Amino acid sequence: MLQLKHVSVTFNEGTPNEVRALQGLSLDVKHGDFITVIGANGAGKSTLFNAVAGTVPVDRGRIILNGKDVTNQPEYRRSLDIGRVFQNPLVGTCPGLTIRENLSVAAMRGKHLGLLPGVKRKNNEWFYQLLKSINLGLENRLDTDVALLSGGQRQAITLIMATMMKPKLLMLDEHTAALDPNAGALVIDLTVKLAEEYGLTVIMITHSMHQAIAVGNRIIMMNRGHVLFDASESERESLSYHDLIERFRSLQTGDELSDRAVLS
Amino acid sequence: MTTNNVSKRILRRVPISGFLVRVLVTTLIVGGFMKYFGVSIGALGQGLAYSLVGVSVFITFRILQFPDLTVDGAFPIGGAVCAALILKGTDAELTLLYAFGAGAVTGLITALITVFFRVEGLLSSIIVITGAYTVTLRVMGARSNIPLLGERTILTPYQKEMRSWLIENYGREMRRHSNNLVEIIVFTMVVIIVLLVLNAFMHTELGLMLRASGKNSQVVRSFGVNHHLMTILALMLSNGLSGLAGSLAVQQFGFADVSLGFGIIVRGLAAVLLGEVLLRPHSIGQHILSAAIGMIIFDVSRAWVFAALELPTTDIRLVSALVVLTALAVPNLIDRWREWHKRRVVNRRKEQGQLDVAAKAR
Repeated sequence: MLQLKHVSVTFNEGTPNEVRALQGLSLDVKHGDFITVIGANGAGKSTLFNAVAGTVPVDRGRIILNGKDVTNQPEYRRSLDIGRVFQNPLVGTCPGLTIRENLSVAAMRGKHLGLLPGVKRKNNEWFYQLLKSINLGLENRLDTDVALLSGGQRQAITLIMATMMKPKLLMLDEHTAALDPNAGALVIDLTVKLAEEYGLTVIMITHSMHQAIAVGNRIIMMNRGHVLFDASESERESLSYHDLIERFRSLQTGDELSDRAVLS
Repeated sequence: MTTNNVSKRILRRVPISGFLVRVLVTTLIVGGFMKYFGVSIGALGQGLAYSLVGVSVFITFRILQFPDLTVDGAFPIGGAVCAALILKGTDAELTLLYAFGAGAVTGLITALITVFFRVEGLLSSIIVITGAYTVTLRVMGARSNIPLLGERTILTPYQKEMRSWLIENYGREMRRHSNNLVEIIVFTMVVIIVLLVLNAFMHTELGLMLRASGKNSQVVRSFGVNHHLMTILALMLSNGLSGLAGSLAVQQFGFADVSLGFGIIVRGLAAVLLGEVLLRPHSIGQHILSAAIGMIIFDVSRAWVFAALELPTTDIRLVSALVVLTALAVPNLIDRWREWHKRRVVNRRKEQGQLDVAAKAR
């Protein structure tokens, strides 16, 4: 489904500020996987994400999506197959456009843009059902400006927009981090539901160990641009929350500037 | 919701109610037109000719959120192309399309410079304006001015009929307004057609994507569309409209001039701001319309200031600047005054103990 072969990404190469964000990282994502990615700040999670999405150029290595080498494809070309949700709820939707118009933009993924009406009447029922399924009462506010919604509501809509055209890969970058616990739980439930319903392959970055354990079928822990460990199915079953915390702590002792040092 | 209601209830006691403002504005408009009729309809015709510049600036500054000054170059190029073609004997109606095309190409160049060389929009449009000046001169055959005396424009076919109709119905006195009336009627038709087409376009798949691209280009990229293409499209559309406006202005003035576009971006911005402040548009169609009407309001109110103060035409720049400043400052001051008043009302109630009672009840 998605293969990363020895992918390296370096920022500010050749300067004192050189950051080797990904160092020959290899990863094989199978169809239907739901991977949770954890790791300290600066471990390279978001860079991995951006390298796959095409917002960050790759120095070395190959990225193969669905048997196609996409290493040098621009972001907008790749996004035909990749749905993304970001940490910032404001990034995923267009303020100033209504919910209906936003969903219509999402419905145009991979379609030829022409002079037909942008908001199509035949989509009304579909949009209504999509919004009804998330139980936020948004199905009656289809003509509300997205800018007037809360972060949780916007993130839920972003998630719907990212998945409604059934992309091959769904990538979530801490998409609940900016939400309050209730909204976060709601968005996570929705994520799991949509992933199952559409049979999506998902890569989810998270800072919540609980989330990492509770959701998905495979855990990847990253550190300094490497995959530190990769636990799937049986191995993952035996991993407890405390094991995970312990492993997380142990890898940090090596850092000059660990999360704990920064936070304390 | 509740806070909104409270503020509304308080605002209702404010003497500057919406109704009073509307009455005042209507009186001013009607009064102005009665007092300065000739000046007003002249400015109305000019405002209509320039109104598409307002729409043009709205597309770049508001929809695309791209600070594009190319309008200053596209406008005179549109005018020059129109004048040169009319002199060559092309149909005046057809020259409007060519002027649109010339403006669109100007916008295309700005867009390409921005997209391919990653030059900031403001800078690339300044480069294009500089070059466009020469292109305008070349189009006009190395002359800085082309008179259209005696040539057939989109206005001339109706002028004779209008004159005789006015003399017949309103007496010889009204004859001098005939050209202005023809301008108003013809330009209104052209502008309405353009606005209708533009509004329809903004509701198509492409138009919707273009609007989304300006608000949040990440979304557009996330759904498989190259947002640079949207930038190119929007700049072509915007400057095409400016070129078209240039050709209307040239046919109204009866000459093309290389300095015609100088500082026109300010007028366009003023139109957009005035339209937004005075008409408070919501939908995209209303926004487009209010940018066009904003230009008309700008031109007419400026003409009134001139007529009322009996200023010489050389003062036009300063008056323009002051009108724009007023348009920007007054709504701001009103908002602040309302806020101040609201606070005063709340304070007075607090003194009367009303808020304490409410707090106790809770």
